[in-house]
Amino acid sequence: MLDLKKYPDVAAYVQAVAEPKWFTEKRIEALDELKNLKMPSFQKIRYRNWPIRVKKDLNNVKSEIPLPEDIDENAVTMVQTGQQTLLTNVSEKLQKQGVIICDWKTALDEHPELVKKYFMQKAIKITENKLTAEHVAKLTSGILVYIPKNVILKDPLTMYFIQDALQKIDYVHHVLLVADINSEVSYLENILTVGTEKTTANIIVEVIALEGSHVKFASVDRLGKNTTVYLNRRGYLKRDAKIDWSLGMMSDGNIVGDYDSELVGAGSHAETKVVAISTGEQVQGIDTRVTNYGRNSIGHILQHGVILQRSNLVFNGIGHVEKGAIGADAQQESRVLMLSRYARGDANPILLIDDNNVTAGHAASVGRVDEQQLYYLMSRGLPKKMAERLVIRGFLGPVLAAIPSRSIQIELENMIERKLVDGQKDE
Amino acid sequence: MSTLEVKDLHVSIEGKNILKGVNLKLATGEIHAIMGPNGTGKSTLSEAIMGNPAYKVDQGEILLDGENILDLPVDERARAGLFLAMQYPAEIPGVTNAEFIRGAINARRAEDNPISVRNFLKKLDKTMSFLDMTEEMADRYLNEGFSGGEKKRNEILQLMMIEPKFAILDEIDSGLDIDALKVVSKGVNEMRGQDFGSLIITHYQRLLNYIVPDVVHVMMDGRIVAQGGPELAKQLEDEGYAGLRDELGLDIKLTDEDA
Repeated sequence: MLDLKKYPDVAAYVQAVAEPKWFTEKRIEALDELKNLKMPSFQKIRYRNWPIRVKKDLNNVKSEIPLPEDIDENAVTMVQTGQQTLLTNVSEKLQKQGVIICDWKTALDEHPELVKKYFMQKAIKITENKLTAEHVAKLTSGILVYIPKNVILKDPLTMYFIQDALQKIDYVHHVLLVADINSEVSYLENILTVGTEKTTANIIVEVIALEGSHVKFASVDRLGKNTTVYLNRRGYLKRDAKIDWSLGMMSDGNIVGDYDSELVGAGSHAETKVVAISTGEQVQGIDTRVTNYGRNSIGHILQHGVILQRSNLVFNGIGHVEKGAIGADAQQESRVLMLSRYARGDANPILLIDDNNVTAGHAASVGRVDEQQLYYLMSRGLPKKMAERLVIRGFLGPVLAAIPSRSIQIELENMIERKLVDGQKDE
Repeated sequence: MSTLEVKDLHVSIEGKNILKGVNLKLATGEIHAIMGPNGTGKSTLSEAIMGNPAYKVDQGEILLDGENILDLPVDERARAGLFLAMQYPAEIPGVTNAEFIRGAINARRAEDNPISVRNFLKKLDKTMSFLDMTEEMADRYLNEGFSGGEKKRNEILQLMMIEPKFAILDEIDSGLDIDALKVVSKGVNEMRGQDFGSLIITHYQRLLNYIVPDVVHVMMDGRIVAQGGPELAKQLEDEGYAGLRDELGLDIKLTDEDA
């Protein structure tokens, strides 16, 4: 018998949702350990006074958010609002191939072996820090995606995760994506907020890329102004696996983004592309790391960000080559463009090299808009704000051009344009 | 008919007086040339008319159709009908030439009435072929990696696409070989007509063999010191700026003159 006396909210919740006991045990483990754990620490990212801790009781809450009009029901794989799943489209063909795409509740009920094997086991540990433990303790939504051995999915999977800020509830969400040996998948997640209540989001994404698999992972984050976010995306790569991360950070609130790739297998390869736009008074702290353990593993980071108004953007780029990672390659480039004199930005390269026989490099810059470029564009009649957007597009271009999917490039371009237009309104 | 008038213009840059009272009037249908030695303020005049924020107007007026435009920012002056073909056009990565030109044309039209893509492409193709530009130039990023000659041609392409009332050409001939010079001149001559006026700034008389001006102004030391017809340019070619200066009895040291 589980002793839940200490945690009456957990007891009530697990009974309400009929949660399997083995998962509740993980919650208890996390809760018991919480007091012994530290907050994660990132250079130059100060977030300690943010309401980033998930403090509210575990609660089974219904959301009243309807399917957003701009979502094409037939073109998306899954839509979740708050803790609910509004729709799931998994074709018969995919099911026959053994592909699993289901919400978290279904994952616990029907695929315990997968969850037990991979959930917070390989890429991240439950007890890594206070926020990862809180994540497990308070987890209430998520998905499991499993691509079987040798299955190659041509069409991308498209997810919409909608945070419910119409109510004062925390959003704790987990994505577990497992690409089995020699499989290939392209995955896009849109995370957005409906509502303006002050809320906290704790989101962890684990991508497990087994031997020879290839995952193209893209995201467009549009979390709301009043949502404080801890967003941890982590890849775990076995031999010759590859992950292409294309991450568009278009959220409007304060956010800590922790994007890491553990290059465990020989010849594994992670390409991380980040595009970020900060507006208003928001702070975005982005800590992107590649850690080479495997021989001849490759970890590349390319991140460009634009800062408007009084906002703040920090890019940390960490290339960590462990001893024994002979022939490894760790490269990174972080660039920040500031559009206002009140904006603050930082690009902070960190290389930690523990083996000799490797290649590594970094480039970083923080700069302002080129006045000559603006003048030239405006001299042809373009209004200043439009001219600024064109200069910004040019600045972000190298990252967008390096994103492997054309449709995701276009999606990101549109989102960038939208966020910039919104951000410029208040100037 | 439109007019562009510069009255008693004084301009400084970083605290240094460059223009010391320039007067000039031009109307559509006319082409004027401004000649002068290096460092005399020709480019400053063109940047000040266009509205480059780096140049400070200390005194005087710039009137477009009688309205003072000094308070307008550069983009509004452009939409009011001014165009400056620059000596050193900026490179803008990530923005294609065609997309930029279409944006510039649409900036002059009502938001709900943009030029149709078809009409735009038709005009672009025609103009590019007139200027002997290859089709791929439309899809390249704006001026990025363009040679000097390509940049100048691209300025004239924009001029012909945008069709301003007044175009200032700032040393459009510098660094051009004779073939490129002919193409650029052909473009400007094509624009010539009742609805177009131009101010051509040049160091050498050579360009004026291809674009014959109605009026030639000579600038020295921040002022216009002489005016005449095309023959004045020829005279300068023969006598040099120092010759004209001495003839006029001016006490001015020319930048490139040996001490």
